[in-house]
Amino acid sequence: MKLTTSIAKELWTNRAYYLMALPGLLLLIAFAYLPYPGMLIAFKNFNPIQGIFGSPWSGFDNFKFLFSNDDILRITFNTFWINANQILWGTILAVVFAILLNEIKNNAVKKWFQSILFLPYFFSFVIVGKLILLIFANENGLANGLIQIFHGMPKEWYAVPEYWVKIIVSAGVWKNVGYSVIIYLAAITSINDEMMEAASLDGASRIQKIRYIMLPNLIPTIITLTLLAIGKIFFGDFALIYAIVENNGLLYPTTDVIETYIYRALINGGQEYGMITAIGLYQSILGFIVVLGSNWLVKRYDKDYSLF
Amino acid sequence: MKIKFGWLDLLIYLVFIVFALVTLVPFTLAIMVSFSAESSVAMHGYKFIPEQFSLDAYKMIFQDSMVFNAYKVTIFVTVAGTFVSLLFSSLLGYMMSVQKVKYRNIIAFLIFIPIVFSAGLVPWYIVVSNVLHLKNTVWALILPLAISPFNVFLLRNYYKSISPALAESAEIDGAGPWYTFYKIMIPLSKPILATVGLFASLGYWNDFTTSLWLIDDRKLFTVQFLLYRINSMIAYMSQHANMSAVLLPSETIVFAMFLITIGPIILVYPYVQKYFVKGIMIGSVKG
Repeated sequence: MKLTTSIAKELWTNRAYYLMALPGLLLLIAFAYLPYPGMLIAFKNFNPIQGIFGSPWSGFDNFKFLFSNDDILRITFNTFWINANQILWGTILAVVFAILLNEIKNNAVKKWFQSILFLPYFFSFVIVGKLILLIFANENGLANGLIQIFHGMPKEWYAVPEYWVKIIVSAGVWKNVGYSVIIYLAAITSINDEMMEAASLDGASRIQKIRYIMLPNLIPTIITLTLLAIGKIFFGDFALIYAIVENNGLLYPTTDVIETYIYRALINGGQEYGMITAIGLYQSILGFIVVLGSNWLVKRYDKDYSLF
Repeated sequence: MKIKFGWLDLLIYLVFIVFALVTLVPFTLAIMVSFSAESSVAMHGYKFIPEQFSLDAYKMIFQDSMVFNAYKVTIFVTVAGTFVSLLFSSLLGYMMSVQKVKYRNIIAFLIFIPIVFSAGLVPWYIVVSNVLHLKNTVWALILPLAISPFNVFLLRNYYKSISPALAESAEIDGAGPWYTFYKIMIPLSKPILATVGLFASLGYWNDFTTSLWLIDDRKLFTVQFLLYRINSMIAYMSQHANMSAVLLPSETIVFAMFLITIGPIILVYPYVQKYFVKGIMIGSVKG
């Protein structure tokens, strides 16, 4: 009783603040929390007429069916592998670009380079897909043109799945690097000037300052962003991959991720809601475990750096 | 002050020039193709200098009222969405930064959970279409994207960095929380609002997957979704070769749509850029 009155009292005293949170929270509840009960579909033989709660239970049948075919392993691996590469290369490049950008003393040049780094972030995925086509088209593509200049054999890019993990990862990194660069650049700018000056006075070279002051100061930001990205490591970047691969079945062995697989299942008139929800649950649980695990590792290394 | 230009600077310039080339070469080529005649593209391939200059692709696009309508939808969605997103996110971020609000961390946790654990596509789709009945409404394009937890945390950290003494003295002078937010916090947080606003508006402008799931009504197509549809229609036609016996400006039209979708953003960018680093700088300090 006492607890409820103290809660009520707090809510009343600061009612204006809780009211401020209300619209945003309502949207979050509507689009993130309301779907949670729908995850029950994974354990049901779902049909739309009886609805989520009315449909008969099916236990783990959806999961059994899911793991009985080889596709799930392949698409899980592809999803993980493409994302892991994107996180790794995306972070390395963003940190390097941010540090280099910070080293440029001419402000006009700096602004130009920053704009160009950010330009691909403006491109929609459909366009990224078309630009990739401009480069790798079997006929007339820039890549084959370049190969021919050096008298090499033109390649059938769109027929060889082995190339495409690299191409998709590069396209993803290229598109998104500007966004992370801005965040890292901000973290660099917030490094104490006095520390840098003191290092200069002690005769530290630019490289030494980067190595011993900037990098250590960037680590918290790197860890936070990486942990957040790892939470999504089992969720494929549908827009990017679908825009590049479209329905080119030749490339599925390496590029088919969980999302593109689900999309095809739905588009081809599949009514396998139970199974698709089971995949979603499987992704969320895997992601959750990986985040908890990596957060635990970070916490062991340094408590201040962990997310929670 | 004399600035030395050493080998490190040379290396730095080289790195960025390479990146610039990787970005600008395909970009320029795309624009050039959009101004080429379809027949010359079909015959000679993609060329940096059009073999035969032509505005056919643009004529074809603007002949159809669809693109104007798509622009209208996109502009409405982007403007309304960015506004809703900024308003609700900044209110949320601000309330979480106020020390005397006891349950602010519970709310932060509520916002954090969906980042690491999401319900998945099917439950989301069922809620949006069958519970909220947003399918084929313009709100389907606005509301689901409005609250980005990442942006909310950027905003919260920014408000945290503003001295609480400011709000306290306003309160002593009789200002309520809403008045303080409107008159003091909004003006002080312009840099982060500009940054988050740009991210939000880009998100809305470039979104086509939401349309993929929730929009069939042609009146609600956005430019990005229209581009996607044109692109897949052309792919469909080229697979069924006899349909494209007449040479439609198919390749060129996609690249013309490119310029059409990206033009407005590039025009707006310079006005926002100056706030950029400053906004994130204060927002991203870990807290």
